[in-house]
Amino acid sequence: MVALEDLKQEAKNVLEGGTVKYIIGYKKPAVGFMAVPAFFHKPEDLDALVWDPTCVHNLVLFLKDEKKKKLGQKEPDERPVGIVVKGCDSRAVNVLLQENYIDRENVYILGVSCGKTGMVDLKKVRKYFKGKIISQIDFNENESFTVTTTEGKVEVPAADIFAVRCTECITASPVIHDVLLGGDSVRTPENPFGSLEEMESKSQGQKWDFWQEQLTKCIRCYACRSICPMCYCDECVVDTINFAVYPDTPAEEKAQKIKWVEKSPTTSENFIYHMVRAIHLAGRCVDCAECERACPMDIPLRFLNKKLEKESKKLFDYDVGYDTEIPSLISSFRDEDPEDFIR
Amino acid sequence: MEKILTKKALPQWLIKLNAYQIYAPVKKENHWSYEALDKPESIRLDHLNTIQSPKMIIFPQREVFFEFHNAEGNTLVMKEPASESSATVIFGVRPCDAAGVTHQDKVFDGHFKDLYYWKRRNQTILVGLACNTPPSPHCFCLSVGGSPHSTAGFDILMTELEDSYYVESFSKKGDTLISLAGDIFSTPKENDKKDKEKAHSDSEKKLKRHIKDLETVPPKLKDMFDSPLWEEESLSCIQCGICTYLCPTCHCFDINDEKDSSSPLSGKRVRTWDNCQFPDFTMHSSGHNPRPDRASRLRQRIMHKFNYFVTNYKAYQCTGCGRCIDKCPVGIDIIEVLEKVRDYGK
Ligand code: SF4
Ligand code: SF4
Ligand code: SF4
Repeated sequence: MVALEDLKQEAKNVLEGGTVKYIIGYKKPAVGFMAVPAFFHKPEDLDALVWDPTCVHNLVLFLKDEKKKKLGQKEPDERPVGIVVKGCDSRAVNVLLQENYIDRENVYILGVSCGKTGMVDLKKVRKYFKGKIISQIDFNENESFTVTTTEGKVEVPAADIFAVRCTECITASPVIHDVLLGGDSVRTPENPFGSLEEMESKSQGQKWDFWQEQLTKCIRCYACRSICPMCYCDECVVDTINFAVYPDTPAEEKAQKIKWVEKSPTTSENFIYHMVRAIHLAGRCVDCAECERACPMDIPLRFLNKKLEKESKKLFDYDVGYDTEIPSLISSFRDEDPEDFIR
Repeated sequence: MEKILTKKALPQWLIKLNAYQIYAPVKKENHWSYEALDKPESIRLDHLNTIQSPKMIIFPQREVFFEFHNAEGNTLVMKEPASESSATVIFGVRPCDAAGVTHQDKVFDGHFKDLYYWKRRNQTILVGLACNTPPSPHCFCLSVGGSPHSTAGFDILMTELEDSYYVESFSKKGDTLISLAGDIFSTPKENDKKDKEKAHSDSEKKLKRHIKDLETVPPKLKDMFDSPLWEEESLSCIQCGICTYLCPTCHCFDINDEKDSSSPLSGKRVRTWDNCQFPDFTMHSSGHNPRPDRASRLRQRIMHKFNYFVTNYKAYQCTGCGRCIDKCPVGIDIIEVLEKVRDYGK
């Protein structure tokens, strides 16, 4: 288990010494119990740093902002950014390294292990503790959490309130790090794709009906795209205008821009958007499931990404985010590929 | 008009309203949402805050203005779609959401009346439910000029008593709804009135969140355009559309021509919601973007709601529903931001 004091000390060491520019971590919110992302610029601010099972966010997302900010600066501060990273998040760092989006010296990774459990799922917590006011959730040494409510502390079996993705996780401690807190945690879940089974057993028609219903709810807020550390394109096909427009771009060129997806949140446009999103994440999604957590409309987006992760494994024996030296799945091919069309 | 309706009789009332399209909160696996109610007996009014407010019905996210196509001889034919709106009753509306409708009314009225909006709005009857307990942990209506039993915007407000609802009507439309099922309502007794008043005053005490001295914020904002606060508070914002799309008062929209075919030309002119948190919201065709970053977009959200709207309409453009706080994926809390504005430089 990670001792919070150790994490704070490690963070303080690098921030005080000036090894890092600032640190991206978690703090408690003003009201409520789910941690929120926080940016620590001064060592004394780090008193507010927290690490508990509500630290759900994949902070690697903020490396996108950092990169964009640096691009706009004439003489950027080249020191790395310190970042608190879980097992799943660490694989996101690896994908960004593999794709040459960031360099290893851009990040100082404070790795934290989830030990025997993982992150809670807020929806499950709300159901479990209906109406009770929760102030804190903590890790335990065993497979449970301690939840503090106004009525006192209770121990809850992890299985009752933790995120489905955590039950299927095989790397509960970071695979890349500068310091590792809480030690290694290797897991061997019985069936790492078990949550897909029910969906896979449905008929084509049932699947169609299911997604029709789900994706019709989508309001195209793009939270699922914006929260994803892998969605870093400067320009996304769903944006209504083109960012590569300059004062001297001729009108004809602007007019000829193809509109791939209409702004209308109709079922068919929503399908296109979600297909684009899913395909662009095949072999890149690390299953942090942030898209599904962020979705305000309760759309089970993780199914799509998990299914493509499974396909990548089955067809190409490709594991996402472990090896930064191999070419990335969707930008490479092999001469010995069994499929004809690719040669 | 003031009446009593027993809880058991509620479905019977709805049956009598079969000439109307009825929307009511429906329980889903993890949330509540407004849906067209097809079985009156399935109505439940123990709902928490619905994900979307009734804005989605009165000012839908997508609306077709007209269809067009190129006919023979290269003439452009335009046609309005058959009207899909009919007399509508929305049940169980929370006071903050009805206040949201009154704010939308202000925007779509005035110098340019938005005919599309008013066509739906004039056909909509709002039947509210007072919040005896706050439907969200982040409710703060009392701080922004509302209350858990505010009647603003309502045709009817119902207050839950032990086995019945205290039903008050404030408009002709409301009176009509009641008279359609006249015999199932009874006249309130003195103690019913007392119970209702007690429920109302108790409900105010149950609100967990407040902003003190909010009235000092609008004048202060006038001098905070260039404040570093916006950058500090927006660091984790991912610029999604959640806080604005779900807000009952946000009303920005975009109009696009959606082509079905280029040759022969055919398509639709469509209005959809738009929102100030998207990076392309203020992008000019020259490539210049006057709101180029997160900070300027958060500033816009706060400035519009607590400065410009206050100047233009003498009200906060926020009804304290708490949706933007509850649903923001990175925990940006509008109350916290407002408190920081209030205390800035102190
Ligand atoms: S987060 Fe949900 S509602 Fe928003 S665009 Fe994604 S799927 Fe649609
Ligand atoms: S404040 Fe939250 S909900 Fe609003 S745009 Fe930013 S991340 Fe999205
Ligand atoms: S600003 Fe937030 S709290 Fe206020 S009305 Fe809009 S969604 Fe509700």
